[in-house]
Amino acid sequence: MNPDGVTRRRIRFVLFLMAGAVTALVVQLVRVQFGPYAPVFAARAEYGASRVEKVVPARGQIYDRNGNLLASNGTMFYLEIEVRQLTELSQKDIPLTLSKLLLLPLEDLYAQVTTDWAALGQYRIRLTRKDANGNPWPISVDKTVAEVINGFLADPLAPDLSGLDLVPAPKRIYPAGTIAGHVLGFVNQEGQGFYGVEGYYDEWLSGKPITIHRQFIPLEARLQPDPPAGVNLVLTIDLAIQQMVETALKEAIESSLAESGQVIVMDPRNGEILAMAAWPVLDPNHYEPWLPDTTEEEEGNPVITPGVAGTFEPGSTFKVMTMAAALDLDRVKPETEFIDTGQIEVGGHIIRNWDGRSWGQQTMVGCLQHSLNVCLAWIAADKLGATDLYAYLSRFGVGRLTGVDLAGEVSGKLRTPRDPDWTEPDMGTNSFGQGVSVTPMQLLTAVSAIANYGDMVQPHIVRQVVGPQGAYWPQPAVLSRPITRQTAETLTTMLAQSLEGETRYAVVPGYRLAGKTGTAQIATEKGYDPKWTVASFVGWGPLPEPRFLVLVRIDKPATAPWGSVIAAPVFQEIVERLVVMMGLPPDTSLAQAAAGG
Amino acid sequence: MLGQRMGVKAKRTHASRQAPWRLQVRWTGKTMLLAIVFLVVSGVYLAVNARLAKAGRDVLSLEEHRSDMLRLTSELSAELATRTAPETMMARAASLGFHAAQPDDVLFLTVDGYMPPADFIAPRPPAAPDEGQAMLSPAYTETLGEWLMRWIGSPGEPS
Repeated sequence: MNPDGVTRRRIRFVLFLMAGAVTALVVQLVRVQFGPYAPVFAARAEYGASRVEKVVPARGQIYDRNGNLLASNGTMFYLEIEVRQLTELSQKDIPLTLSKLLLLPLEDLYAQVTTDWAALGQYRIRLTRKDANGNPWPISVDKTVAEVINGFLADPLAPDLSGLDLVPAPKRIYPAGTIAGHVLGFVNQEGQGFYGVEGYYDEWLSGKPITIHRQFIPLEARLQPDPPAGVNLVLTIDLAIQQMVETALKEAIESSLAESGQVIVMDPRNGEILAMAAWPVLDPNHYEPWLPDTTEEEEGNPVITPGVAGTFEPGSTFKVMTMAAALDLDRVKPETEFIDTGQIEVGGHIIRNWDGRSWGQQTMVGCLQHSLNVCLAWIAADKLGATDLYAYLSRFGVGRLTGVDLAGEVSGKLRTPRDPDWTEPDMGTNSFGQGVSVTPMQLLTAVSAIANYGDMVQPHIVRQVVGPQGAYWPQPAVLSRPITRQTAETLTTMLAQSLEGETRYAVVPGYRLAGKTGTAQIATEKGYDPKWTVASFVGWGPLPEPRFLVLVRIDKPATAPWGSVIAAPVFQEIVERLVVMMGLPPDTSLAQAAAGG
Repeated sequence: MLGQRMGVKAKRTHASRQAPWRLQVRWTGKTMLLAIVFLVVSGVYLAVNARLAKAGRDVLSLEEHRSDMLRLTSELSAELATRTAPETMMARAASLGFHAAQPDDVLFLTVDGYMPPADFIAPRPPAAPDEGQAMLSPAYTETLGEWLMRWIGSPGEPS
């Protein structure tokens, strides 16, 4: 055998081995790519090489009409435990440190940290605290506390916090605190908006989260798309007016020892809500006690959004609508006379005045000035009749939603002759605001038709919507024209005259105002409450071109039951400041300016 | 012609038998050439991939930085708003001796040509970059084949 033959055989042998190896590799490659276990191999390859992430855009910000920030975004940190990283020492140090730092019960924290979570198949837990009802809530800390904890984690001489992890999460911040809390609503830890503007515009504010596939091996040099951002909102609210109104309401509640109350200030020309205050206040930064259950969410919450969900019997403020209907149909005139005998029978039901007295001969202005139930029941029964009365109440939107852009609005209740439970006496009582329930927003909207020359503009709270594409200004919509301009002007003049005679507490020197007081009994399941009332006042000005319309409602005042004593002074106090803040000169200034002085 | 070719082949065979190292040198040269081409292409791939990885890491880092900046801006805006909240400002004004103006405190004047301040317009939320902005240089995305095709299609373009 020559050497060339040996070499050739060796070469063939090596080639054979190499061919075998290559064949094996190709077979394995085909098996991995296309075999029955291909998905398993693909999943293994994906694991660690890429990640699917849900990207949530920042929630839109909310401003008042002057650019003051009302709602923004910040960061909070959840406290989580990585169970497998806990040490014997850290199991004691973590509860002890957090208990002292956050003033939380040590036993509860200790129980959470020392539970054998691994046996339950859990390796990462979020620490919780219990509220007053014993419900667990995730513990969240702000940036300052997070920095302290991070300092402990980095310091070898500090308590052993091994296993403790701070997980950042977005948090809604309301810089003005409780101011306008009822208007804004709140956002929970999952980023869902509840009540008010946050609830109504939740979908717009929150934007649209997207899912992205982020590749790490090989690392992709690719800009990931941003999710469509939430819009920014500018409200019609003026923060300075809101603060002033809230202060006035708080002082009124405290001085009258009342249970609760609301004030709404509207521009009757365009339906813009300038301020909407409620007591007790709601702090959207600490919303947990206000979180709704399913029923409340559907029906509205009269405590959280009393302006649009807190129904009440309006009492005498409702008389302006009965009078408006009669004037509009020319059934009465301001000088029409009525002899008040102190009582009237409507459908077999005797109606008496608020004081039980008979007031003798009165004009229609006198009926409003003395707030005579008998007179208004006479107008409803003898001058209007059920068909016309309820047709006008319907045009004023009583019993219907106003469509204001706040979550949780309810419609109130008005029985009409079409309802099976309506009776003729209802016509008499409804004429002066009894047996009918409205929300403050509904009453204000109805009265705005009188203040705005017959046009009832839809109330709204959002003035501007700003998205990535630009700004959009919602245009005010006229809901209806229940009365003519002439009727509105006549009734306004009557109410200005009657107000000047009815209560001195609602007069502001230099400004002509129109308004009506209301004192309503509170309906209960056993009839009307013998003790408590709802004192209210609705007024507007300055005449002849009203720029504001104010509704004051005080529930269960203890010092006096009357709207003229409890609610009218609040209106006066608010208007005194409002004319300054809105830059509305008094009549004398206008006269001087016109004369060139 | 055929005879001429056969003659050349016979001469080469003869030369190889005379000096076998010539054949080895030729094969070694070819192999080395292939190896060098392979190394050059691999080097180019490695350089491109290294730049790609660095760019990817930079993108990630910049994205995180942008998120942090947006969050910080938002937090600082909220902090500023908290410090200038009406209650705080009212308390500060009161401590400085001011009180809320009443109608009697105010003198209204007619000023010719006065223009009231313009309505506030909220800032636009950050928009998603459009297709043009989001597109990266082809250097980071195209394959060598695509690069060659592009180069052949327009010789002056690649750089």
